[in-house]
Amino acid sequence: MAVVSEESAIILPPGARTPRPLRIIWSFTRRKPVAAASALILLIISLMVLFAPVIAPHEPNRPSLGDRLAKPSSDHLLGGDELGRDVFTRLLYGGRISLGAGLGATALGVGLGVLFGLVSGYAGGWVDMTLQRIMDAIMALPPLIFLMVISTQLSPSFRNVVIAISIFVTPGAARVVRGAVLSIKEMPYVEAARSLGASPPRIVFRHIMPNTFAPVIILASITVGSVIIIEAALGFLGLSVRLPQATWGTMLNSGAQQYMEQAPWMAVAPGVAILITVFSINLFGDGLRDVLDPRLRGKGK
Amino acid sequence: MRTYALRRLLAAGVVLFLVSILVFSMMRMLPGDALVTKLGETGRISPDRMEQLRDEIGLNDPLPVQYVKWIGDLFSGTMGDSLIYEGRTVRERIVNSLPVTVELGILGMLSALAIGIPLGTISAVSQDSLLDYFIRSVSLLGLSIPQFWLGLIVIIYGTLYLGYKPPREFISLTKDPIGNIGMMWIPSLILGFGLSASIMRMTRSTVLEAMHEDYARTARAKGLTEHVVVIRHVVRNALIPVITLVGNQAAFVFSGALILEILFGLPGMGRLTLEAITQRDYTQVQGCAIVAAAVVIGTNLLVDLSYGWIDPRVRYS
Repeated sequence: MAVVSEESAIILPPGARTPRPLRIIWSFTRRKPVAAASALILLIISLMVLFAPVIAPHEPNRPSLGDRLAKPSSDHLLGGDELGRDVFTRLLYGGRISLGAGLGATALGVGLGVLFGLVSGYAGGWVDMTLQRIMDAIMALPPLIFLMVISTQLSPSFRNVVIAISIFVTPGAARVVRGAVLSIKEMPYVEAARSLGASPPRIVFRHIMPNTFAPVIILASITVGSVIIIEAALGFLGLSVRLPQATWGTMLNSGAQQYMEQAPWMAVAPGVAILITVFSINLFGDGLRDVLDPRLRGKGK
Repeated sequence: MRTYALRRLLAAGVVLFLVSILVFSMMRMLPGDALVTKLGETGRISPDRMEQLRDEIGLNDPLPVQYVKWIGDLFSGTMGDSLIYEGRTVRERIVNSLPVTVELGILGMLSALAIGIPLGTISAVSQDSLLDYFIRSVSLLGLSIPQFWLGLIVIIYGTLYLGYKPPREFISLTKDPIGNIGMMWIPSLILGFGLSASIMRMTRSTVLEAMHEDYARTARAKGLTEHVVVIRHVVRNALIPVITLVGNQAAFVFSGALILEILFGLPGMGRLTLEAITQRDYTQVQGCAIVAAAVVIGTNLLVDLSYGWIDPRVRYS
């Protein structure tokens, strides 16, 4: 799982000129070709998933008994499942849920984490103490147990799965941001803002928050990957989005295990999809970290 | 040291208390009557029994009363009664399941250390070589593969080509240690592979750092071979952050063990919790969650307290 040190606070020079996006992409590609390649793979996967209705050769949820457990062929690129549904089609549609949950839960969880981290780090004292202990409590529950418990109370819809997973993302982000805030708030420019009479919200959101973005971006990029795996684990246990809706996890749930000897492609395809996606995300995240974290710069030369 | 230990113990207690509130309120997000309705839906319980249950569980009591009663059950050791199995306490089933999960978790951690530390060290020593890149890629792969999927693939291809059969009956460690390890080693290795990724990455970076420390230079100046310097001097010092990391991973180890034991048919906490959830045995789910959290908090506490023993330089303040 993602491990990000609490102290990975990066302070960008205030008022740094933002170069044009194309130039950023170009210099990133030159410095980190592997990370750039994985970003390209991610882009392709996202587009395929996004345009699933256009690309998909079959209906995702309509059973067709003639194609039951069909072997991979030109008609069924990745074979058919136990109800004769096309595995490739379901993979594309399932990716919408899996990637969507990955991005959604990360955005929501990291967003909440940033908010808690800012408040906790800036306020200090008992507010900090209370918030930190609550985060500790959430972190003490093994994520799977936590999600299993929540799933008993929420109906298995996409929205609820995203909310449930985001709760488990929040503490990690809160800790990283809190750590960054603790060092940033001692910076001279924060003191300057304070002495000019800036209100606490203004100091926090205008002067401190933008400087926590580097560690947050690194954390978020790695979190998307672990959220996709967590969502898949939930689906695998039958606790994610309601059937017959495909997700990469639910595709591994029933038929894949039951018919694993006759139709191993049912288990292989979704797993490989998860693997390629998460591997690319992690490679990209690693490259991003090397570029954004100045402490790592120049190391290994 | 003693005040430090006391403070950590107190903090752990506070967190466990918060977890109990968290778990309790999560289980009460639906109003009590819906809870009973759900029990009825499963068809296992007659209307008479349901009415009786409503009183028994104390669903008509205000929430704080219910909470205090639950905490009382926790302290009395029974952890409340199972809603599904009459006359059985929540504790009974946990006592049978927890050792399986803990054993798998410990074996998983040990194999993660056995894989991660040597690989991380080799990677650091041969920095920026092809070997380094290869090891780093494999470790990143370990971070990217869902463990349950790897387990599924091992089962599928193991049965197809290697004559592997997932065990039908559980062999307990106390009855037949060899048979037990025979069942456990495959899921342990899979769990360990997933965990080894972060251990390997951490080891690599701390070894890299330690290799440039003064004591490493001194050791080299004494004429020790690089081999001896790395193994006797560098790795020992580099392992402290790695130990911390292992402790912090306890929650994830537990999660990983849960899903792998479900997949490999081992009767641990994962299967118990999943079963309790599908049966809507709420008291059981509640008990499983709090015990899981207690194990994680306990592990973190042990790691914290063992610092001084691992690294005498650490001062508790």
